[in-house]
Amino acid sequence: MVDDPDAKVGADAAHLEGCADCQARFKSIAGDASSIATLLAVPEAEVDVAKAYAQISREPRSQPALVRFPALRPVTRPAFALVAAVLVGAIAVVAFAFSGLLFKPSTVKPVPVTIADVQALSQLSEYGTVSWTKQPDLHVVTSAADAAAVAGFPAPVASGLPKGVSTTITYAAMPQAQATFTFSAAKAAAAAARHGKTAPKLPAGMDGATMTVTVGPAIGEVYGNLNAPTGTKADGSSTVNDINLPQLVLAKSAAPTATSTQVSVTTLENFILSQPGISPELSNAVKAIGDPSTTLLIPVPVQYATATTVTVQGVDGVALGDNTGVGSGVVWLKNSYVYVVAGSVKQSDAINIANNLK
Amino acid sequence: MNVQARRMSASRTDDDAFEALFTSEYARVVRIANRVLADSHEAEDVAQEVFIDFHRLHSATADYAPAWLHRAAAHASLNRLRGARRRQKRELAQALEEGDKTLDPQKQAELAEDRRRLREALGRLSPKPAAVLVLRASGLSYAEVAQALGVGIGQIGTLLRRAEETLRKEVTRGTSS
Repeated sequence: MVDDPDAKVGADAAHLEGCADCQARFKSIAGDASSIATLLAVPEAEVDVAKAYAQISREPRSQPALVRFPALRPVTRPAFALVAAVLVGAIAVVAFAFSGLLFKPSTVKPVPVTIADVQALSQLSEYGTVSWTKQPDLHVVTSAADAAAVAGFPAPVASGLPKGVSTTITYAAMPQAQATFTFSAAKAAAAAARHGKTAPKLPAGMDGATMTVTVGPAIGEVYGNLNAPTGTKADGSSTVNDINLPQLVLAKSAAPTATSTQVSVTTLENFILSQPGISPELSNAVKAIGDPSTTLLIPVPVQYATATTVTVQGVDGVALGDNTGVGSGVVWLKNSYVYVVAGSVKQSDAINIANNLK
Repeated sequence: MNVQARRMSASRTDDDAFEALFTSEYARVVRIANRVLADSHEAEDVAQEVFIDFHRLHSATADYAPAWLHRAAAHASLNRLRGARRRQKRELAQALEEGDKTLDPQKQAELAEDRRRLREALGRLSPKPAAVLVLRASGLSYAEVAQALGVGIGQIGTLLRRAEETLRKEVTRGTSS
C-alpha cells in the first residue's frame, strides 16, 4: 500500500482513514520504505549497449554450453536442477560402474560439479554406442494404484506437507529400463577430432568393452494442478498469479545397477578424471570416496546449489539447496531404492517430508 | 536443408535472439547491479557476467529470460557486495555521488556513512528479502519482481514490507554493535 497506489482503495483505505493504530503503523512502514529508497538511490549508470555486447561477444566463455537448461520458467528450475543432478549422477554412476564388478550403490554422496565437468562427462557418450535392451517407457497415470501397477511397488505417500502445497498429484511411472554401452577406440578418436582435440588414450582393454546399466522401475509424483488454465491479462500475456507449475516432486526408483567387463575401476576412474575440462574439485572429491562401486554420486552444480549431508530415515542423505533461495531437495538411498524430494519449499520442509515419506 | 545447414541456421537464430535480449535488458540489469554496488563500472562487470552465464546455459528465446537476468543480477551483485575487497572502492564512489555535492561536507559524510551501513546491512540479509528490495528499488514493477523471484504477485507487498523492516533492524544492529 505504501508504494502501490492501486492497493490504497476500497475497504482497506477506508479503514486506514479512521484507525489511529493502523495510521501509525502505516507511517512507520512508509518511513522505512522512504529512507531505504533514499539511501539506495544512486546516479543512473550510463551504458553503451553496443560496446558492451561487442565485449562479451569476444569473451570465449559466452559461447553456449553443450548442455543447456530446457526452456522452463524460473519456478521449475530448482526441481529441474535437482532432477538433472540425479540424471548427471546416473552418468557418473555409469562411468564409474565400468569396473568389471557389479555396481550396486548403497549410499549417496555429494560431489561438486561445474558446467565444464558436465561437458567433459557428456563427451564420454561419444566414445561408443548405446543399445537399449529395454527402452525407457514413461507412463503418466492418474492414480497411485496405476503407478504402482506399472512400477511393481507402491507409490510413496507423503505427509506433513507445508501449507500451500497443492493436494493435486500427477503420477508418472516407468518400468525397468536397460541399456548397453560399447566403448569404441575409433569412435573416441572421431569424437576427439570433431572437437579439434587429440584422440584420448583409452586404457588397455577398453576398446570393445561393454557395460550394461539398469535403471528403474521408478515412480514420480508431481504436486500442483498442472492442467489448470493459465490466467491471461488483457494483452494476452499470462499472469504471475496463475503459474500452474509443480510445487513439489517426489520420486522413488530402484537404485541403478551396472555390470561391465575388461577394465578395472581404478583404470576407468583415472581415465574419466583425466578428461579435459574436469575440475580439480570434482577430481579430488571423487578420489576421496573410498569405494565408488557402492556410492551413488550426487553431483551438485557449484554455481547454482549447495549440498549438505543429512540423516534421512536413519541413513545418510544429501540435502540440496538452490542458491537463489527458492528451492531445495533431498536425495537418499535406502533398501536399494533412491528417493528424491524436491521443490519450491524450504530445506527444513523438504527434510521433514523426506523423513515422513512412507 | 541438410543437418549441418539446419544447425547453422539454428545457431544464427539463437545468436540473434541473444543480441536482441542483450539490447533490451542490458541497461536494466546494470541498473539493478548499480543499485546494490553504487559503482557503475562494477555494475557493468556484474551485468556482463550475468549475461555470459545466461547465454552459456539457457536459450535467449526462453520466456523466463528477463526474469532470470533480473534475479541473477540481484544475487550476483549482492554476492559481490559481501566481498570485502571492493568495499573501499565502493565507499569512495558513493562519497562522490553527483547528487550529494550540493550538501555541506558534514552532511555529505553523514549520508555516505548511512549509505555504507545500509549496504553492509543489505549484504547480511537473506537472499530473497535482499533481492526483493533491490529489484523494487531498481524500478521493477510488482509483477516483474514476482516473476524474477518466482512468487505470486500478491506476496510482493508483504515481502517488501518484511524486508524493509528486517533491513531497518539490521542497520540498527550494525550501528549498535
